[in-house]
Amino acid sequence: MGRFWNEMFWSNPEFVRHRRAELRPVRAITIAAVVAVMCVLLGLACWSYEQNLLENARRGAETFATDAWKFRLDQLQQEFARKTWLLFYRWLIGVQGVALTFWTLFSCAQSVSGERDRKTWDFQRTTRLTPAEILIGKLMGEPILVYFAVLCAAPVTLIAGLAGGLSFGIVTSVFIFLAVTSLFLGLGGMWLSTLLESRTRGVGLIGALALYGLTLGAYGMRESGLPGLAAISPLTGIIDMVLDKTDTPFRLAPTLFGREVSWLLMNVLLCGAFIAWLAVMLVRNLKRDYQDIRPLSRWQAVGCAAFLNFLIYALLSPGYSANDVYHETRGGWFPDAKAVAMFAVAMNGLILFLMGLATLTPQERLKVWRRKRASGESAIFADDGLPWPWLGISAVVAYALMVWGLLAWDHTLPLEMGTLQTAAIRLLLVLVFVMRDVLFLQWCVLTRLRQPIVKGVLFLGLYYAAAAVMTVLAGVVSSESGAMWMLALLTPVQVFDPKIAGLAFPAATYAGLALQTGVIGGVLMAISSRLQRPLRVGAAA
Amino acid sequence: MIELVSLRKEYDNVLAVDDLSLTIPPGEIFGLIGPNGAGKTTTIRMACGLLAPTLGRAMVAGVDVAREPERAQQYIGYLSDFFAVYEDLKVWEYLDYFAHAYKLPESDIPARVTEVIAQVNLEVKRDAMIRGLSRGMKQRLGIARAIIHRPKVMLLDEPASGLDPKARLELRNLLLSLRDQGATILISSHILTELEGFCTSIGIMERGRMVRSGRIEDVTAAETSTRLVRLTWVGDSLVAAQGKLIAALKNDARVSDVNLAEAAGTFRFSGAEEDLAGVLAALVGANVPVTSFSEVKQTVEELYMKLSTHEVM
Repeated sequence: MGRFWNEMFWSNPEFVRHRRAELRPVRAITIAAVVAVMCVLLGLACWSYEQNLLENARRGAETFATDAWKFRLDQLQQEFARKTWLLFYRWLIGVQGVALTFWTLFSCAQSVSGERDRKTWDFQRTTRLTPAEILIGKLMGEPILVYFAVLCAAPVTLIAGLAGGLSFGIVTSVFIFLAVTSLFLGLGGMWLSTLLESRTRGVGLIGALALYGLTLGAYGMRESGLPGLAAISPLTGIIDMVLDKTDTPFRLAPTLFGREVSWLLMNVLLCGAFIAWLAVMLVRNLKRDYQDIRPLSRWQAVGCAAFLNFLIYALLSPGYSANDVYHETRGGWFPDAKAVAMFAVAMNGLILFLMGLATLTPQERLKVWRRKRASGESAIFADDGLPWPWLGISAVVAYALMVWGLLAWDHTLPLEMGTLQTAAIRLLLVLVFVMRDVLFLQWCVLTRLRQPIVKGVLFLGLYYAAAAVMTVLAGVVSSESGAMWMLALLTPVQVFDPKIAGLAFPAATYAGLALQTGVIGGVLMAISSRLQRPLRVGAAA
Repeated sequence: MIELVSLRKEYDNVLAVDDLSLTIPPGEIFGLIGPNGAGKTTTIRMACGLLAPTLGRAMVAGVDVAREPERAQQYIGYLSDFFAVYEDLKVWEYLDYFAHAYKLPESDIPARVTEVIAQVNLEVKRDAMIRGLSRGMKQRLGIARAIIHRPKVMLLDEPASGLDPKARLELRNLLLSLRDQGATILISSHILTELEGFCTSIGIMERGRMVRSGRIEDVTAAETSTRLVRLTWVGDSLVAAQGKLIAALKNDARVSDVNLAEAAGTFRFSGAEEDLAGVLAALVGANVPVTSFSEVKQTVEELYMKLSTHEVM
């Protein structure tokens, strides 16, 4: 076991390479010195701040000589050392948390694309290193400078935390929290990096910034109906876990299946699950040629869609807890089972679209599938076939989980049969629109567009913008019902009308369903026609 | 040692390699030649597992490269035309990294690194940072990387691109020594003189297909029904010598295209090598003062020009 860990981590050739290249003695000493100086400066700043507060209190006590001022002065004097250390600890952990997560994300986001640019990647791919070894080596090696800096600051942070009155468990938990979040961000960055070429570097940078922004922004989810999602934000680790309980009366905690759990547990579970999915995608694709990258197999995509659906019901917090100071806010998110079902349908629009993107088939593979299918060697559900049957399977699984989830929450959010019927039609409509959009992107992949998926998504954005304009025009030119018809025919927005009960959707909704099914048929024919085009002979390499 | 079975590669709307089958036995140096865009690089990249074939399979030392990539890599040494090295490492660190990446036994690695550094004449730069090396030295380091794990098969894609003449000669000698140690080499190039006198077999690719392949003498024999023989003579007047030569050769039906100049000449001969010895004996018997008599071998370039259809993509 020890040998395995040694080979996988400490002696991992990729990790050793980074260690040797980036942590040469002079650089290591410099980093340690910079960390020491920063610690001293931060410490002095914190001491100065607390000293200032104390001086102000002393002057106040001398000036006013009231009992309140004396009491405040006594309290500050008694607590001076602890408060100074605690402030110092908060600053230390804040700086480390931001540096660790940001650096890990951005260094990993350049790991594979950087090697491709430098033309060293092919040589790594032709070694005997397995994708898992490369992944671990890069994840541990790319941000090695920041790991080392954090390691240098760790003893001071530990002492500051303990002297600040925090327990050893809390201090350790915060470190674990930040480490797990960093690993998640690092893997996210590495995944972005595998999808990038030099010409798409700008897109990668935007993607990395967006990922960081989303992760940080997840902090705001503490007050939502899915508070557990805040556990992936490093801010939760930096702020909530080290809150001085004497400073705040609030008690915020995430819920798992309706039970309150610790932030650390939620972080480990949530980030651990995302880390596992990212690792699956990376191990599957890391040694593949850029053209052959496909994030997930079809069954993995269905599994991932199921997992994301499962999260909705596992993290749900309807706001019934008496201890929950955000009772009202959370209750506002999910007042009843209908709201949960509608939220799940909306989320499935996004989930199915992402699954569709992850399972788009490269032109080369699709052509082979078509030839095999023509000769009866391949089935419609084959891994190299079109993604639409798998979107259907994912939607069925999502609906099954919705039924299970709503039944499981029946004790808190009573479920009516009509809710499930409405949700089924809503999910069907969302599925049809997503299927159309994903097949359009598949068609884009078969064209000669450069960056077909990026351009396809932009075209879809244009389409929805045009649909919005047409809806407004229809409202202006005819009547409100005209606008409703336009909206229902061209977009899935109308299915989220909260007034609909059971199967009583307006006729326009069913007309939209029929129209979009016809459009899907048209896109399938266009794809088939593209696949029948003869090949040009000659190398492209 | 290398077996490519019905390999096919499609890129979007382009058929880069079409139903290519090839077997290269152990110890061969196989030259893959063809114009730019013929599919040589794609073929080599599929053979070393960098590119997944659309159809077909590539086997190296009996291992399917796509199915067992990590196992196949222990037999493969790959070098491409334009590559880079990790500039922030020292020479020995770079080779040590790849020795570990190829999973050589830990105890063998230091000695092997030293051995390979000596093989590519970089002893004095062992502890130097790579960023300070010249381009030629980096190329040699790349070659050292490709052979660090003693591969049975070398897959070289235009390996001499950008090398100066001295470095090319060193590369050729290194590859010949690897062949002598039992390695099988597949080398692609469109500079035909680079492969001259070096390859034992050739394959000519055009438009993604293998036009012809096999041992050079077999391909030559298949393409030419007659041998071109060149001879020189001395010690007699031109007219007398030519007269004797014509007399000696004219009665032989296998001789054609006799072309005689002042003291040298050529003719075509359609018989076997043993029969050619008989012609020499007849000339000597006719008192022609022959000083040299040899078959003119076709160069790879001539062979390529003859076989190629010159279709440019």
